[in-house]
Amino acid sequence: MTSTPDLAPASPATLRKPVRAPQKGTLRKTSRHPYRAALSTARARTGLVLVGAVVLAGLLAPLLAGHGPTDQSGLSLAGVGTPGHPLGTDDLGRDLLSRVLYGIRADLGIIAIAVPVGAVLGCLFALAAAAHPVLDTLVQRIFDLILAFPGLILALAVTAILGPGRLPVVLVIALAEIPAFGRLLRGGILVQREREYVTAARVGGSSGPRVLVRHILPNAADPLIVQVAVSLTVAVFIEGAMSFLGVGVRPPEPTLGSVLSQSMPYLAQAPHFAAGPLITVTALVLGLSLIAEALNREVRR
Amino acid sequence: MTHQPTSAQDLLQVRDLGVEFTAPDGSTLRAVRGVSFTLRRGETLAVVGESGSGKSTTALALTRMLPGTGRLSTGSVLLDGQDLAAASAEELRAVRGARIGMIFQDPMTALNPVLTVGRHLDEVLRAHGSREKHGRRQAKAARRTRAVELLDRVGIPEPHRRIDDHPHQFSGGQRQRILIAMALAGEPDILLADEPTTALDATVQEQILTLLADLNRETGTALVLITHNMGVVARSCARVLVMYGGTVVEDGPTAEVLTRPRHPYTAGLLAAVPRLSAPSGTRLTGIPGSPPDLTLLGDGCAFAERCTLVEDRCRTGVPPLVELTDGVRAACLPAAARTEPLPAPAPPARIDRPATGAVVLEADGLRKTYKRRGVRGRGFTALDGVSLTLAEGETLGIVGESGSGKSTLARVLAHAHPSDGGTVRLRGQDVTRPARRELHAVRRQIQMVFQDPYASLNPRMTVGQIVAEPLISFGLGDRDERDARVAELLTLAGLDPAVADRHPRSFSGGQRQRIGIARALAPEPSVLICDEPVSALDVSVQAQIVGLLTDLQRDLGLALVFIAHDLAVVRQVSHRIAVMHQGRIVESGSADDICENPQDPYTRALLAAAPEPVPVKPALRKTEVLA
Repeated sequence: MTSTPDLAPASPATLRKPVRAPQKGTLRKTSRHPYRAALSTARARTGLVLVGAVVLAGLLAPLLAGHGPTDQSGLSLAGVGTPGHPLGTDDLGRDLLSRVLYGIRADLGIIAIAVPVGAVLGCLFALAAAAHPVLDTLVQRIFDLILAFPGLILALAVTAILGPGRLPVVLVIALAEIPAFGRLLRGGILVQREREYVTAARVGGSSGPRVLVRHILPNAADPLIVQVAVSLTVAVFIEGAMSFLGVGVRPPEPTLGSVLSQSMPYLAQAPHFAAGPLITVTALVLGLSLIAEALNREVRR
Repeated sequence: MTHQPTSAQDLLQVRDLGVEFTAPDGSTLRAVRGVSFTLRRGETLAVVGESGSGKSTTALALTRMLPGTGRLSTGSVLLDGQDLAAASAEELRAVRGARIGMIFQDPMTALNPVLTVGRHLDEVLRAHGSREKHGRRQAKAARRTRAVELLDRVGIPEPHRRIDDHPHQFSGGQRQRILIAMALAGEPDILLADEPTTALDATVQEQILTLLADLNRETGTALVLITHNMGVVARSCARVLVMYGGTVVEDGPTAEVLTRPRHPYTAGLLAAVPRLSAPSGTRLTGIPGSPPDLTLLGDGCAFAERCTLVEDRCRTGVPPLVELTDGVRAACLPAAARTEPLPAPAPPARIDRPATGAVVLEADGLRKTYKRRGVRGRGFTALDGVSLTLAEGETLGIVGESGSGKSTLARVLAHAHPSDGGTVRLRGQDVTRPARRELHAVRRQIQMVFQDPYASLNPRMTVGQIVAEPLISFGLGDRDERDARVAELLTLAGLDPAVADRHPRSFSGGQRQRIGIARALAPEPSVLICDEPVSALDVSVQAQIVGLLTDLQRDLGLALVFIAHDLAVVRQVSHRIAVMHQGRIVESGSADDICENPQDPYTRALLAAAPEPVPVKPALRKTEVLA
C-alpha cells in the first residue's frame, strides 16, 4: 500500500464547502451524546427542575396532602395559611393543597397514557404511509380529517358520543397527537430514504425491513423525541380545557383543569382558589417547553 | 513582517489579518492567521488552497461579512487608505457592492426564485444610489436600461426579453452570469469571486472564466478569484496566493509559482494535480496525511506534519512570509535557506497493471426515463441506449457533465435503480430484472463506492458496524469472523482497524471514502462501481484514494467502473474511457486514444475546457494593468 494511512481525526474536507464556515474544522466531541448534551444545558436543567418538582408533588400526593381530595370541612373559601389548609379551601370546604396535588396525579395519569398511545398510533400510520403510495394517500387524508377538527370541537364530539370522563380525555389527546407524530415520522422516512447511505445499504444487500429498522428509523427518530416533549405540553392544555368546559374527568375527582374551572365564580372573592392550579400548569408547561426547546436546539440541528 | 512600500497602484492592502471563530464547545478557532497581501488596481489575484485553508474566510473578512461567531482578531484591511477592519457598519455598507463586489459559489441558490432577474438587478442598482435622478419614474426607467446593459455585458442573449424572466428559466451558467451582473452593478473596483465555477461543468466554467477575464481587461476591475483548482489559477490569474492552515504559504506571479514552486506544500499540491497529458496507468503523487485540524494547530508551520523538508525550527514558530527570488514570497524556513530549487517530485510512476481477463459485466441498450410528477407523457431520459462491456481487472472510465446520465448508469448497473429497457449480463448470465434471491447474489458481485463521503455513511453507526453491514446482509461468517474480516477490510483500505468503534463524523473526507471502499469490498465483489469517488475530495487526498483503488484492483483483480467529470483523473486510472452526453455514450475507446485523438466534437469540447495547471503563455494574457 503506497498511500499512507492517515488516522488522526481531521477537519472535514470537501471541495464543495460547508455552508456554515465556522463549523469547518471544528469537531463535535464524539463521546458527548447529543441528548446528554441537550439535557445538561441551563435551559433544560431549569425545565427538568420545574417538571420534576410537579411530577414529584403528584407522585407523593398521599404523603404531602393532609386531607383526602374530596374530604369536606366546615370552612368554605378559607384563605392561604389557614391552619391545616396551607393553600386554603374551596367553596365546598375541600382542602386546596390536596385537590391540586391529586389533580396533578390525575393529569399525569391521563397524559402518561394518552401521549404514548397517540405517538405509537401516529408512527404506525407513518410506517403504513411509507410502505405504499396508496396507503400514503389514505393516511394523509386521515390526518387531514383529524386536523380539520379544532381541538375543542373534537373534544366535544368525542364526549358527545362517550359522555364525560377519563376515557374521552385520553382519547381526545391521543387523537390530537396522531397527526403530529405521523407527519413527522413520515417526513423523516421520506427524507432519509433518499439519502445516499440508504442506497448504499441496499446495494450492500440489506433487505427492505432491515434498511427501515436499522438505517432509516434511527435517523428519522430525533424529531419524534422532541415532539414528545411538545405533545406533553399540548396534552396538559387539552386536559385543562376539557375539564374547564366540564366535559373532562367527572367531579368530584380533581384535575388541574377542573379545580381551575370551579374557581371561576370566586376569582374576585378568593383569587388564591385559582392560584394553585394556575401556577402548577404554568410550571409544567414552561418546564416541558424548555426541555423541548433544549432538545430541539441540540439534537435536531 | 516585511512592509512593502505603498504605491498609488495599491488598491487593497491587507496586513496581518487574523480571524477567529468560537467553536460550539467555547474554544477559539483561528481560521486565518497573519495574512498579509497587496492587491493592485486591475490586478488578477488567485487565492488557492484546500478545504480549511482559510481562503474563503479571508475573502469574507475583507468586507467583514464573516458568518456566525467569526470576528477579526488582528490586522487591518486598507482600501485606498480606509481601514475596513475599523470602519463603521454604515461605512462598510457603502463599500460592499460599490467598491467590492462579490460572487459566490452556488448560482442555483443565490438568486431569489420568486423575483425576476430585473428585480434582482433593480434592487442592487437602487442600493447604489441611482436614486437622485430626476423623478422616480425616470430613475426607474434608467435603472431598467442599465440592467439590460449589464445583462448584455455578461453575455445573456436578448437581455431586453429575458429581463422579466425568473431565475429557474436560466441555466446554471447563466445564473452565474446574472450574479456577476449584480456584482458589477455598483461598478466596483474589486470583484471578489469565491469558487465561482466549482458548481459548474467544465465547458461552462471555461465561459465564465473568459467572461471574468474580459471584464477585468475592459473595465479594469481587479479580480480576486478564490479557488481550489490549480487549472483555474493558471487560466485566469496573473498572481497567486497559496494558503494552507489559515496562513499564506506562498505568494508570487502565477507563471513563476506554477513552474518553480518555492514552498513544499505548493510543490506537493502541483504534483498531486492530475494532468491531462499524463498517459493512462500513471500513478498520481499525493501529499501524505490530511489537511490540518484548525483546532489542533500549534504555533509551528501548519504544513510541518506533512512536509518532506521539515526541520526542528519549523515546529516552534509560524515562519514569516519572506521575499525570495523573482518576486515570489514564501513562508518556509528551509526553503528560504535553499538556493537550488526544491527537489523535483518523483517522476510519475507507471502502475504495473496485469492484463485484463474475461468479460464480467455487459450492458446492452440500457434505457432509463424518470417520470416527472404531474406531467403526463413527458419524462426525462437519463439513459438512452447505453451499451458497454467490462473485463476482469479492467477500469472503464465514464466521463460526462452533470445531467449526462453517468450517475444513473452507475445506479442501474449496481441494481439500485431498475432500468426501463436493455439488458445487463453478469458473466454471461442475464441479470437485468433478477428475482429477489437472484438479486441478492448479483449484489454480492457488484458493489458501489459513492460520491459523497458524508452522505453515504450512516451517521448513527460506528465504522465497524458500517463495514460489517454487508457481511450481515449476505450472511457471511459469525460474529467473531465478521470482526476479523472488518479489521482486515479496514487495513486493506489503509485505515487502522482500531478505528472500528468510532463514528464517521470524526473522520476527514478522504478517510470516510476509505471506509466506503472497505464497505464495498466486504462481500468480495468482482465489480466495483465508483460514482465520482474523488470529486468531493481535496486534490492532495484525491491522489491517495485513486492510488488505493488502483492497488486494490491489482491485488484483487477487480473490474472497476470509474465515473468522474475530470478527464485528467479518468485518463490516469482507466484502461478505456466512455464519454457520455445526454444519456448516450458518444465515444469510447482506449483512454490514451480518447484523450489524444478525440473523434466526437463533444469529447473535443470537454478536452478543450479542462483547465491545466500550466502557465498560459504571457502573450495570451494581459498582465499589465490598464490605466
